[in-house]
Amino acid sequence: MPNDAMRDTLAEKRWLTALAKGDPQALGGLYEMYGERIFRYTLRMLGNRTDAEDATAETFLRVLRRSAELRADGAFRTWLFRIARNLCIDKMRQHKLMELPSDAHYSGSEERATLRVTVHQALADLPIEYREPLVLCDLEDMAAREAAEILKISVPALKSRLYRGRRALRDKLGGTLERTS
Amino acid sequence: MNNVLYNKLVDLYAGRELPAELEEQMELAAEQDAALKREMSSMRNVVDTLHQMDSPEYTEESYQRILMKLYARGAEIQTQSPEPSHFQYHLPLQG
Repeated sequence: MPNDAMRDTLAEKRWLTALAKGDPQALGGLYEMYGERIFRYTLRMLGNRTDAEDATAETFLRVLRRSAELRADGAFRTWLFRIARNLCIDKMRQHKLMELPSDAHYSGSEERATLRVTVHQALADLPIEYREPLVLCDLEDMAAREAAEILKISVPALKSRLYRGRRALRDKLGGTLERTS
Repeated sequence: MNNVLYNKLVDLYAGRELPAELEEQMELAAEQDAALKREMSSMRNVVDTLHQMDSPEYTEESYQRILMKLYARGAEIQTQSPEPSHFQYHLPLQG
């Protein structure tokens, strides 16, 4: 296991043990470890900063509520993403938030910004079963096995959705990518 | 070539999941087949674009607003990061 991953695993274990004992620093420690990734994921899913902040906060509240049951067995991160995913799906059902992240903040050149908006719009137009694997595997760089666990599907099913999603995205983007590459 | 197998190979090529040797063979085959070449290049372009997309910014404001939401919902939470200055000092109220 690489040193960084080992350090993260040990820190996660320490914080989860402390959380079960009611240490108020533990939730803060877990939030500092995973808050950014969960926020980015929820923002990509919801396309709206306010809802993403809300979903991120609710994700960590669930951690607190379930602190007695949580185990530092390596599955915590997957569980955390699964909670965030369920919250995103609930929010999408409530608000039908399927549009592009109009208030997402990005930096970079105007041309790249235009490309990002185009890609995000195309992603937002995809059915959720295609969008989720693309967000987890291609945008969040998550391994297929972990993404499959979060989505509660098999790895072959994940890959099938991922490949179909990429094709659907390619078809939606038309010649945009050729023009910008 | 069987269409399903053809698509599968292109998908694996696009995601850089093929062994180098097979990838080279596909690129050689694509030189003789314009449709295959177009398919391989457009799919790889999609994957590369997604992988190179910048992450949305996780700002200090978002970090603090999430913390505030947690406090507001009754969570006991202490972070290691120093509080931003606007949380440390009370601003004088007007009037």
